Amino acid sequence: MNDEITVYVEGVRRSLAGLSEATREELLEDLPEHLAEVRAEGSGTLVDRLGTPEAYASELRSTAGLVGGFPEPPLDRFAQLREARDQALDLLARADRRTGPVIGYEKASDFLVLLRPGWWVLRGYLVAMALAYVLSDGTRLGLLPRIGNNELVALFLLAGCVIVSIVLGKRSAAFSRLPRLAVQSGTVVLVIFALSGFLTADDNARTPGYSDVNYGYSDPNPYSNVNDVYVYDGQGRLVPNARLYDQDGSPIQLGTNMCTDPSTGETIRSRNIGVPYCPQDAPFGGSSALPSASAPTEAPSPSTSAPADATSQPTRSAPASFSR
Amino acid sequence: MDTTQLLKGVLDLAVLAALRDEDGYGYDILRRLRAAGLEDVGDASVYGTLRRLFNGGFLNTYVVPSDEGPHRKYYGLNAAGRAELQRSGKIWHGFATTMDDLLRERGAA
Repeated sequence: MNDEITVYVEGVRRSLAGLSEATREELLEDLPEHLAEVRAEGSGTLVDRLGTPEAYASELRSTAGLVGGFPEPPLDRFAQLREARDQALDLLARADRRTGPVIGYEKASDFLVLLRPGWWVLRGYLVAMALAYVLSDGTRLGLLPRIGNNELVALFLLAGCVIVSIVLGKRSAAFSRLPRLAVQSGTVVLVIFALSGFLTADDNARTPGYSDVNYGYSDPNPYSNVNDVYVYDGQGRLVPNARLYDQDGSPIQLGTNMCTDPSTGETIRSRNIGVPYCPQDAPFGGSSALPSASAPTEAPSPSTSAPADATSQPTRSAPASFSR
Repeated sequence: MDTTQLLKGVLDLAVLAALRDEDGYGYDILRRLRAAGLEDVGDASVYGTLRRLFNGGFLNTYVVPSDEGPHRKYYGLNAAGRAELQRSGKIWHGFATTMDDLLRERGAA
């Protein structure tokens, strides 16, 4: 029987949630006794005789606010927000229960709770990184919280922060409201710091900076700066129109067949099919020594005529030199 | 216009008046008001008004044990309550007379 009164009073109390606690308690102070009197006077449930607790609360509130005494309660401006929050929490709780079995736990949060010490360690690391970031004036950090490029300091700082974070984690359950709030807001800042750090690192890993990689980079092809090839025989004579082949018989392409005309300075395409493309640029000046002894090339061609007779030479000289 | 709206303004006075001749407990006072013709009065209104008048220093209160059923909390007018009843009563009479005159002049009553 008393349960009915308790339930009714609780219903009224809930509906008076917008009032200050002092006002509410003052209003409700005598209500259980009063309701006991009411019930003793007649038959029927309280709800039958007095209406719903909500209606009772509303009437109580309106009369209480009439003359001085209790001021009209301020409209609950945050009611909608609070409702939205409650709904969101409700959704979260449902998702919590739904996803739990997928990963083999009753609730997903059960699993997250197990991860808590891991978060403490990570938090210690993040704090160390944040400290190093602040203390080293935003110079680029690696993965260690270096201060002044010192690994030892970094390791000590890291260890210290992780230990403090773990101790804090173990004790924070007993914190009062204010320190708890401080820890929570600190966590928000850390998470933002961590996310930005993570994104920066990700970005750096994906698109390496120009200087990072090309510095000290050696061209795998040592002949990339070769423009022309000059072949000299045992007597130091320049071999004109030489063809280069590799072990498989594939021609080796070296250099470019562009020559600079020494008189005009113009770049012209060489007509030579073999190397050198530009005999007139021979480094050891052996081209003029050729004519006397070399049978295959009766080409007397010194400097100027080289391009001209190059067209006729290949047919004769190349087969001779490669007697296969 | 309905009586519940009017009632709100005179509830204090009504409860004080109901206690003028005899002390009473909450449900008892509700019955008196309804018997007097204020049928729209709700229990919560009486309860709230009693709490407020008591907190305002107009009422004294005492508990009367009961053999059958719960104890009852009785309320009675103290000196301040009687003074308030007189003062508010005058205001009400003045107001009611004004309204009566107003309605009579316009021929609405």
